[in-house]
Amino acid sequence: MRIVAVTSCPTGIAHTYMAAEALEMAAKEMGVDIKVETQGSVGAENQLTQADIKEARVVIIAADTNVSKDRFVGKTIIEVPVKEAIKDAKGLIERAKNINVENKNISEDLSSVKEEKSTEKKGPYKHLMTGVSYMIPFVAAGGILIAISFAFGILAFKEEGTLAAALMQIGGGSAFALMVPILAGFIAFSIADRPGLVPGMVGGMLATSLNAGFLGGIIAGFLAGYTVEFLKKTIKLPKSLAGLMPVIILPVLSSLVVGLVMVFVIGKPVSAINVAMATWLGNLSGTNSALLGIIIGLMMASDMGGPVNKAAYAFGVGTLVAGQTSMVMAAVMAAGITPPLGIALATVIAKNKFTSQEREAGKAVWALGAAFITEGAIPFAAADPFKVIPSTMVGAAVAGALSMVFKAGLAVPHGGIFVLLIPNAVTNVGLYAVSIVVGTIVTALMILALKKDINK
Amino acid sequence: MNLNELLTVKQIKLELTSKTKEDVIIEMVKILDENNRLIDKDKYLQAVIDREKEFSTGIGMGIAIPHGKSSGVKEPALIFGRSVAGIDYESMDDEPAHLFFLIAVPEESSNEHLKILSQISRKLMHKELRDSLMKASNEQEVITLLNQ
Repeated sequence: MRIVAVTSCPTGIAHTYMAAEALEMAAKEMGVDIKVETQGSVGAENQLTQADIKEARVVIIAADTNVSKDRFVGKTIIEVPVKEAIKDAKGLIERAKNINVENKNISEDLSSVKEEKSTEKKGPYKHLMTGVSYMIPFVAAGGILIAISFAFGILAFKEEGTLAAALMQIGGGSAFALMVPILAGFIAFSIADRPGLVPGMVGGMLATSLNAGFLGGIIAGFLAGYTVEFLKKTIKLPKSLAGLMPVIILPVLSSLVVGLVMVFVIGKPVSAINVAMATWLGNLSGTNSALLGIIIGLMMASDMGGPVNKAAYAFGVGTLVAGQTSMVMAAVMAAGITPPLGIALATVIAKNKFTSQEREAGKAVWALGAAFITEGAIPFAAADPFKVIPSTMVGAAVAGALSMVFKAGLAVPHGGIFVLLIPNAVTNVGLYAVSIVVGTIVTALMILALKKDINK
Repeated sequence: MNLNELLTVKQIKLELTSKTKEDVIIEMVKILDENNRLIDKDKYLQAVIDREKEFSTGIGMGIAIPHGKSSGVKEPALIFGRSVAGIDYESMDDEPAHLFFLIAVPEESSNEHLKILSQISRKLMHKELRDSLMKASNEQEVITLLNQ
């Protein structure tokens, strides 16, 4: 078995080398093949080559400085303070031996791809995937708790003090509220390490409050990461003040820059889009109903939680009149259900197009889709927007159009497929179910056709 | 490897008199200054103390390697000190430190010197060398051991 390591300490005189020696000694004793790169005041010595990294099972980074991880895309990394390697080198190597190396094929694949292509191309994708992988559990936690809340009745959460209300507060008000900040925060974290987290999460929070959705969050994450990288390179402080950089200067400046861009550059057009879309939809009444269904479908499944989706949903809710069913509302809900259901179906029938984490998450996405929690689709859309979003849009357009053609109607603003069981909530129940099923299948087939295999 | 430029017999003290961490740093910085290796003693001392604040350079195994990179240093140098009784150095293994290496490096210095220092750091991880240093009976023996 082979391990590679990088050691580094702030002064780069003593600890860097002691840690390297300790690791080499321990590895020798334990019969492990190791190569240790030292990044000290002399610069990098015994540098790891692309081949070293490719062959290694695990990468150990024992450092108190910011060691760039760009070279280690897809590798399992154990990161510890430099003194940990001096103190317990054996324990560290033991950990490296026993750690579960996930997605080994993918990681090998990624590093081989990296050799051929420029690192530029691999970078942003990796950052995006980091953000998505941290976001997925939030989506599952929030979505399923919201779905349980709906089980008490579609509007049960409106009754304060009830369990249903608490579940909605936990799932919708908290876990879902953190979803986009976490996505943005960890995209930035992947780019700029720890200093990226603050502006990333702040920017993601703003994306949520400005209704810019997850696409706004992705912008915030990248903006935050590269802003911090830029600040790190340009701000040169005398050594005595260097301690202020990570604690005060970087967080304040980067949050300021990212925040202002989000509010003024992203926020304004987003609300303009929302208003324009809402007005446009309002003027469409009287158009061919199938066409309206298609438009609603495309809108619902485009930015999922962003300005376009919100305009379509608000338009649907606006057509509800107490005690009556609305065809538009039915189309809106069908189009909001098919993206997550279609993706969940795709994770089952096209396993090789998703990471193992995505496949596991797919199981929860069934429940989210069934409960009309479109957000379940977001991690998948965020991970591969140019392939997944067109798929969800086409599938939702089909569902919306069919729902309109079948003259299905819906009397409530939410609830997912569970409302099909409530008497009088839906008209033309059978055909409405057909339109959702067809939309789901179309979405999954589109993903099958567009999305590339993960290890090709 | 040639240590001679970095460490002379005058920069070795086999019986340190200090009893505390702070005193031992001051004691060794003073030796460095007496050997004319410093431009600004206080500035260098501050660099060493600041470094200790990040986390103790008492790395365990009876070794402490206080070090500082500072414009107060004239040329790279090493001080070796020994305390048979041991000094509490807030080490990672909570054991007293016996072998002390004070390292001084100017802001700009040749790679050659830095490499020698890095090699000494590496050597210290080996128990045989530490045991021999504990037993060394005179200054020249220390230099010979480190030069090996």
